[in-house]
Amino acid sequence: MTNGPPADKNGNETGKKARFPSLAPVHSLLAGWTGLALWLLLLLLLALYPYTGVSSLALLVGSQIFVLVTLASNWNLIGGMTGYVDFGHAVFFGVGAYIMAILVTGAPLLISPQWGFWQALPASGAAAALFALLIGLPTLRLKGPYFSIAMLGTLVAMREIVRVSRPITGGGIGLNLPPVLNRIGDYYLMLAIMGLVVSLIWWIQRSEFGQSLIAIREDEVGAEMRGINTTLHKIAAFMIAAFFTGVVGGFWAWQNTFIDPDGVFVETRTVEMVMMSMLGGLGTVWGPPLGAVAIYLLQNLLWSNLFEWHLLALGLLLVLIVLFMPEGILGTLGDRSSTSLGRLLARFGRNR
Amino acid sequence: MRQFLSYFTLLLAGSLLLTSCGLAPPAPVDEPETAAAGADAEKVIYLGAAVSETGKYSREGKDTRQGYGLWLDWVNNEYGGVQIDGERYRVELIMYDDEGDPDTAARLVEKLISEDQVDFLLGPYSSSLTQSTSAIAEKYGKIMIEGNGAAEPLFERGFRNLFAVLTPAGNYTRSALQLLAEQGAKSVVIAYEDTAFPTSVAEGAQRWAAEYGLEVLGVETYPVNVADVSGIMSKFKELEPDIFVGGGHFNDAVLFIRSAKELDFNPKAMVITVGPSNPTLIEEVGADAEYVIGPTQWEASMSYADDYLGTAAEYAARYQDMWGEPPTYQAAESTATALALHLAIEQAGSLDTDAVRTALRNLDVVTFYGPISFDEKGRNAAKPMGAIQIQNGEILVVAPTHAAVAELNYPAPAWKDR
Repeated sequence: MTNGPPADKNGNETGKKARFPSLAPVHSLLAGWTGLALWLLLLLLLALYPYTGVSSLALLVGSQIFVLVTLASNWNLIGGMTGYVDFGHAVFFGVGAYIMAILVTGAPLLISPQWGFWQALPASGAAAALFALLIGLPTLRLKGPYFSIAMLGTLVAMREIVRVSRPITGGGIGLNLPPVLNRIGDYYLMLAIMGLVVSLIWWIQRSEFGQSLIAIREDEVGAEMRGINTTLHKIAAFMIAAFFTGVVGGFWAWQNTFIDPDGVFVETRTVEMVMMSMLGGLGTVWGPPLGAVAIYLLQNLLWSNLFEWHLLALGLLLVLIVLFMPEGILGTLGDRSSTSLGRLLARFGRNR
Repeated sequence: MRQFLSYFTLLLAGSLLLTSCGLAPPAPVDEPETAAAGADAEKVIYLGAAVSETGKYSREGKDTRQGYGLWLDWVNNEYGGVQIDGERYRVELIMYDDEGDPDTAARLVEKLISEDQVDFLLGPYSSSLTQSTSAIAEKYGKIMIEGNGAAEPLFERGFRNLFAVLTPAGNYTRSALQLLAEQGAKSVVIAYEDTAFPTSVAEGAQRWAAEYGLEVLGVETYPVNVADVSGIMSKFKELEPDIFVGGGHFNDAVLFIRSAKELDFNPKAMVITVGPSNPTLIEEVGADAEYVIGPTQWEASMSYADDYLGTAAEYAARYQDMWGEPPTYQAAESTATALALHLAIEQAGSLDTDAVRTALRNLDVVTFYGPISFDEKGRNAAKPMGAIQIQNGEILVVAPTHAAVAELNYPAPAWKDR
């Protein structure tokens, strides 16, 4: 357990976090090799799970949760670690989904008439990353809420652009993908993508690249002064996050077999990513996956009985998180003194 | 302490992940509920549907649920159960709320098929949810019969198990245009919202215009939630067409009528989808709604009838009794969906999917909702679209002729002469 990352270093770096109360420092909680080992063990268990003779519904539920975990982790890279709160991240999901649909249905603008799924999947990610490069160059110059609003605008604009580009995108009618459903295949594919993405985040967080991102978040001018090429780092983080979000979008389009602008360019998908990251712990490695699972369970198992009230409850939860545990579950567990809930828990612990 | 917490968190995460997968499938797969329930007790047919109760389709979803519910109540309590080989089968309908969300809809349909092991599926509300869930039904070879997804691409995927009782969107304007052509109209202009359903309507309108010898002078599109259509209308005014066709949603109908009056655009007939068959339109625009023609899937005043639920009017009265509000056509469609399946099962004399599919293909009946007979793509080719005209503040059916209750008023006078 002691072979973890330099925990103290992180602690020092975040000494002045009071200036950024909404942003959590990177916690050392299981950020080391132990964490990765446990993660790989969990992946192995999940890989064995279908062998226990489960229904296809369980596999579908599994792959849907993996999608959420992957999206939350991706968002966390740009929103949590780099501190650029992206309120339009679903745009990359949409771009990926549309590239997948266009390629496999052999809609116009193509070299070969139809692509296979396996060629189209990385293409979805590449297209989203390319789009992130184009969008990121102007928008990543913006700071704070201006960046968030610019990205939200990008999402809405793309939805309308796709709607009017009917010859290519099918317009408001949407596109039908080949109805090939393979629940077990989808489960393993998404498990692999999730495993890759979260492990990558783990690695980034320990690397110099990740430390530079955190430096940008804490003090962008200071980071620049110390010789970090901030533009390059931001764009790189943005493109990595966009690439995998695009891949997930492509996968989703394939699994759902139908997409239209209102189905893939949705604001709620971004809000979900933000909430999952926040609940779990912004900027941490394991927080967003934890938050994604927690919110999925809350949405589908507990609150499905509340009918119209479940959205209200979800909103209330978000407010409570921001007020009482802005650093999320993992942040609260890692450093109790950082949040009011943590302090409360600590006090109870002491009294007992 | 720190270490304990670290392990605790990971354990929590792991167990959450595992339970989420574990909680979802509570029932073992290989033990069909149907067999257990219907072994020696009464015979039961299980139907399943995921229909919005919350979310963006909650209003239409409610109509759909009530439509299914009316049939269910009737078939179990009044008709005495579906008759197969002289035996009566009680029907159980498992309905879930898809929240208008494709992920949730997919999960619920998967659950209905793989865990609840329903015999047949009834469709959700909306074309887009029907698109994604019908692919799941097709994969498992389950029949899905639906009455609330009219977009044409649904039927271009070569599915064998999808059937729809409603008239496909392409035929929406057919009977209205035919009637107007007979009355001497020569030219038409078309404006439509650029989403799935209106686009199918407009493409169909162009096809039928050509068929009935009407010249298409102009076609315009506009985005969803448009706030102003005066640009389109003034362009159309220059063209002086006999017929104006507008495809969109309720609010667009209001805009079209107001805008035409303001600009003194005087087509001899205005055919507008969705809005006119809704009584709210008359409340909203008052006397200006006069002469407006609208396609309708079904109206309570239509002269269709069957031996089961009686005439359209009797159906409407029954619906009013049960739910305390008059039926919309979405509700009637849903009831007709379930009724068509019911009739096919009785004709097949079995619950076997292949037998019922064949029976559905060969089905040729007239119901309170209109004739039902499926073509090779699963569309209800037999049913003509109705057309209503607003006359003296009343919504009256003017086409097709065998279901009409009033004569078409054509041409409409110019705005200044009203």
